[in-house]
Amino acid sequence: MRLPGLDPITRRRWRRFRALKRGYVSLVILLVAIGLSLAAEFIANHRAIMVKYRGTYYFPTFRFYPKKTFGQEAAAAAAPAAAALAEFDRSGDAETDYRALRAAWRGTAHRVFMPLIPYGPCESDFDYASWPTPPDSRHWLGTDAQGRDVLARLLYGFRISIFFALGLAVAAQAFGVAVGSLQGYLGGRFDLLSQRLIEVWTTLPFLYIVIILAALFAPSFWMLLGIMTAFSWMRITFYMRTEMYREKTRAYCLAARAIGASHGRIVFAHLLPNCLTPVVTFTPFLVVGAITALASLDYLGYGLPAPTPSWGEMIDQALRPENRRCLWLLLAPFAALAATLTLVTFVGESIREAFDPVRYARYE
Amino acid sequence: MTPCLEVRDLRKHYPLGGGFLAARRGIVRAVDGVSFAVEAGRTLVLAGESGCGKSTLARAILRLEEPTSGAVLFEGRDLATLRGRGLFALRRRMQMIFQDPFGALNPRMTAGEIVREPLRVHRAGRRAAQEARVDFLFQRVGLSPALRDRYPHEFSGGQRQRIGIARALALEPRLIVADEPVSALDVSVRAQILNLLVGLQRDFGLTYLFITHDLTVAEYVGDTVAIMYLGRIVEIGPRAAVFGRPAHPYTRALLEAVPVADPARRRPREPIRGEAPSPINPPSGCPFHPRCPMAIDACSAVSPPLAQLAGEGAEAHSAACLRAGEGA
Ligand SMILES: Nc1ncnc2c1ncn2[C@@H]1O[C@H](COP(=O)(O)OP(=O)(O)OP(=O)(O)O)[C@@H](O)[C@H]1O
Ligand SMILES: [Mg+2]
Repeated sequence: MRLPGLDPITRRRWRRFRALKRGYVSLVILLVAIGLSLAAEFIANHRAIMVKYRGTYYFPTFRFYPKKTFGQEAAAAAAPAAAALAEFDRSGDAETDYRALRAAWRGTAHRVFMPLIPYGPCESDFDYASWPTPPDSRHWLGTDAQGRDVLARLLYGFRISIFFALGLAVAAQAFGVAVGSLQGYLGGRFDLLSQRLIEVWTTLPFLYIVIILAALFAPSFWMLLGIMTAFSWMRITFYMRTEMYREKTRAYCLAARAIGASHGRIVFAHLLPNCLTPVVTFTPFLVVGAITALASLDYLGYGLPAPTPSWGEMIDQALRPENRRCLWLLLAPFAALAATLTLVTFVGESIREAFDPVRYARYE
Repeated sequence: MTPCLEVRDLRKHYPLGGGFLAARRGIVRAVDGVSFAVEAGRTLVLAGESGCGKSTLARAILRLEEPTSGAVLFEGRDLATLRGRGLFALRRRMQMIFQDPFGALNPRMTAGEIVREPLRVHRAGRRAAQEARVDFLFQRVGLSPALRDRYPHEFSGGQRQRIGIARALALEPRLIVADEPVSALDVSVRAQILNLLVGLQRDFGLTYLFITHDLTVAEYVGDTVAIMYLGRIVEIGPRAAVFGRPAHPYTRALLEAVPVADPARRRPREPIRGEAPSPINPPSGCPFHPRCPMAIDACSAVSPPLAQLAGEGAEAHSAACLRAGEGA
């Protein structure tokens, strides 16, 4: 990958990062996984990707089509009474059952293209008498205690984890960089007072406060993101502050002032580009921390509300006494969590080494 | 005629410690009452040992730091009364060249961007005109415009200093403060850069405040030479007078320390005794008296002001010594 238009320092670091195969491969795997998770609705979904019915094409992934669209209400009404279908589900206004549609249309001119995993993350499979069920050809990683496909939940859970963590990293770093840069650039009394406030804020017991808030408000994705950002931005300020203190005394900064450059220009065009090393090197570890924190909160039941697919909730389920025999429930989220954390850590280590080869080189 | 630059009793003191809620541990008198004037188109060399306050003086003159007291008059206008836009406008007219040719260039900008930056900041002309000016400046300082897209680390020390000079020239300044512009360079390229600076002065009518600790450089470029010691000027005068008839014992000691190639011209050496005292607790009286071979009792009591020895106006030769003119 050639990156044109980058200054030589960044380009050299990128080259060094690529040369450290482990981190580069991890980054590629993560990017592919993130790309796939973005397309999760096309990979694991109870809705079809495409339906061809009487010469018309339908794309139901993000749209609701009632049974009557595809003439399914008759079949539903005719279903044996034993099938646990509620009265509404038998009517033509309920959502189409695409899996049934595919089975019914076998051998006809109509077509249903289902995703690779034809089950959604929050959907119970009523074809089984009891849950959880072990892995089989329908549910490759089995179903959980509510009969939901574990693989589908894993995929959607990854998306939530990683985007929660990335969102947290962006928000916390942006705020922390702004505060730390101001401290370092302005110095003096502002620096001193804000530094004391940050020290006080840092000593607040983050987990307790989140648990109290979660108990009061039953937080949404965005609220949890906000709460956790409020307790994650402090660390980078320490680094940005010292970087700014150092860089602003360098002669190129003095030269910019001698020209008459504005404070904004000095900070954004000169200082920040030369101060971003700690931001880049710490972000992966912030992501690791955020994934872990979200999983812990979900595990404790103070995280995202049910039935959000989340890895912490999956681990919590697996560890309940009644599910002790169901090893697949534990292995799946545990392996996914461990793999993700390892990959992000590898990326982080390589970035650190690429940025500062003297201090972090590993002699293997 | 008003001089291009006039400095009156300028002081820059740094409190040591003494921040918010902290005890003050003393004051660094980095610049302690400096006065001089430079006529337009001339060069004043400020020479002195390391730590005597030369860079601090340069920064205070260009208002990169607020002076503690005193006045700086640029073409008759007092800079201390200027703020915001007025100061911004004057920055076009006074520029600085720095000692460390690498540290003074942002490593993440290309040479072309660095030289164009003053033009962008001051919105001088359209982009095409700015680019053309950058090409012209590159050529004028002896760099190929083809090197515009290179980054600072791809240049040699001398080339980097040329980039710094091109940046200082971009806005057609009248005054250039050059803080040891050749000290960090190899001896082989020093002469080239000095000649470049002299040529630029001739072509553009520049006024130089030239800072150096190297008296051979001072003798080469200076019209007027000022010798600085511990934040003060101890001797100032036309080059020929200061080098030919040095009046202050410190100047004489500095001159004797300069290696001379011609054995016939060598003088008996009497090196300066001891180290330069700290500007935190300067000695009483004349700051040079503890190291001075000619010191008398009065020297530790009174701090002599600059007294005129010869010449008038811009040609005046002055020294701050009770025994100026004696001995030698
Ligand atoms: N920001 C500052 N705070 C406190 N003291 C300072 C500060 N800047 C400079 N000084 C002190 O002021 C004195 C003069 O420093 P300055 O850099 O002006 O000397 P200089 O003559 O340029 O020396 P050099 O030849 O090494 O460049 C020194 O003793 C220095 O320690
Ligand atoms: Mg200096």
